[in-house]
Amino acid sequence: MARYAMVTDLRKCVACQACTVACSAEWAVPAGHARTHVRTTPLAGSFPNLTSSPVVGQCNQCDHPPCVEPCPSGATYQDAGGIVRVDTDVCIGCGFCVDACPYEARFINPRTKKVDKCDFCRPRIERGEVPACVATCTAHAKYFGDLEDRNSEVSRLVFRDGARRMETRTVAVGPNVFYLGRPEHLDLVLSSYPPRPPRLLTAGAAWTRLLKPLVLAMVGMTFAGQAVAFFTQLHKGEGDFEE
Amino acid sequence: MRSDAIPLAPVPLTADEAETMLQRQIKKHHVAIILLHWFNAATWILEVATGAALISSRLFRVAPDWYLAIVNGLFGTRGNLLRFHVALGLVWIGVFLVYGIFGFRTYLRGEVLKKEIALDRDDVRWLVVRALRILGRSDEALPLQGVYNAGQKLFSMVVYAMLPVVMVTGVIMAFRLFSPWVVGWAVVLHFGAVGAVVAGLVIHVYMGAVFPEEKPAFFSMFTGSVNELFAYNHHFKWWREMKTEQLAWDRQREPAAEIARPETPAGGEGDAQEPST
Repeated sequence: MARYAMVTDLRKCVACQACTVACSAEWAVPAGHARTHVRTTPLAGSFPNLTSSPVVGQCNQCDHPPCVEPCPSGATYQDAGGIVRVDTDVCIGCGFCVDACPYEARFINPRTKKVDKCDFCRPRIERGEVPACVATCTAHAKYFGDLEDRNSEVSRLVFRDGARRMETRTVAVGPNVFYLGRPEHLDLVLSSYPPRPPRLLTAGAAWTRLLKPLVLAMVGMTFAGQAVAFFTQLHKGEGDFEE
Repeated sequence: MRSDAIPLAPVPLTADEAETMLQRQIKKHHVAIILLHWFNAATWILEVATGAALISSRLFRVAPDWYLAIVNGLFGTRGNLLRFHVALGLVWIGVFLVYGIFGFRTYLRGEVLKKEIALDRDDVRWLVVRALRILGRSDEALPLQGVYNAGQKLFSMVVYAMLPVVMVTGVIMAFRLFSPWVVGWAVVLHFGAVGAVVAGLVIHVYMGAVFPEEKPAFFSMFTGSVNELFAYNHHFKWWREMKTEQLAWDRQREPAAEIARPETPAGGEGDAQEPST
């Protein structure tokens, strides 16, 4: 089974935004939103030894995606290739998954009012193509392939060249987007845009912690009461109840 | 029956009286209400069944894996399942809107609701005694009840309070109205409101379909009427009201009858001495 991964070589990235544009064009992403974004870290160090790095971010198709469980309707799921996908037929746009994502890679599409995000261009992969951002990258800084295939380029970049995952000790969800770069740049990227711990919106928390136990208790109690009544009825016999 | 013959509290009936009352039917529900009740019941079964299967996240769901597998299998895709749930929900809301608009004066006026929902002192006492009796802890006679007993009134309260919540939150989710924040809370409130009704439904269905004392009430949801003996024994206040109304009606008719045949002496019952109102 394939395990799709992407590697971005930040040493080659020139932050030209071609990937963002290609992605938005491919998936008709409304203006003001993006499935992939390019940012630049703040300057680090002291003059004249200043440094910064571009960062290309998107859905990391995590091994343990924190966005799946908070999705009440099961619209967000992980497919057989490890890609985290959204069944827009089932998405109700509650935004629970948006808040759960440590990489802020999800958004509510204002046109469809449903969640939208990168899925490694799943339809393109199925046609045997690479994702739009990879195909477009002017500096050839992006690589895409199957991590399970030891002969693939991504496999080589990850297992031999040491491409890194942007995860911290507190947020380690197994992202499958890897980065190559000078260690100080990768550290700078991680410290500038660290993944934030997954969280559940107040509405979701109220549901799990308060409403679900309450509803189960209410239904359980009425059911138990009714069961007692039924056994009393059996015990007494129906004749006693007749008019 | 004469006005002074209408007792203030149930009196022991002779076998003949009981038999006569058992044979006489009193109208309790309009055809519109019967149809709405069964349409509502069918809708709730389907909506609760599909709704439970739609909540698939381990965090929130109430149904086990095998149940989700069966329902999803029946609908083919989860998209179809959601479409069915939403479409049926909208039809349900549409039917209730028609009922609410055209039946408002008949079914939803303040005084009607007060009669059918508001609890009085007897009702509160009834709830306690009914529960104790079911549990076999009391033989105390049940306090007198109106057209609906306190249990039915309590369930109506839950239903009247929760139905608007279920409908509004359902529409918000179906069309993803306002902001994701609102949709998020709508899902939660939808679940809670449905949960409250389902908790009540457990008792409602048991009392209606399984509990022997309420059998005539169950059949009245098909025929529209209950026998007078059931009304007398279980809804005495209502029975008394009906009798009083009937008497008032009879009295209104009697003077007319007298005018039609002024020379005819009244039969030994002394009807002619009835004061005209």
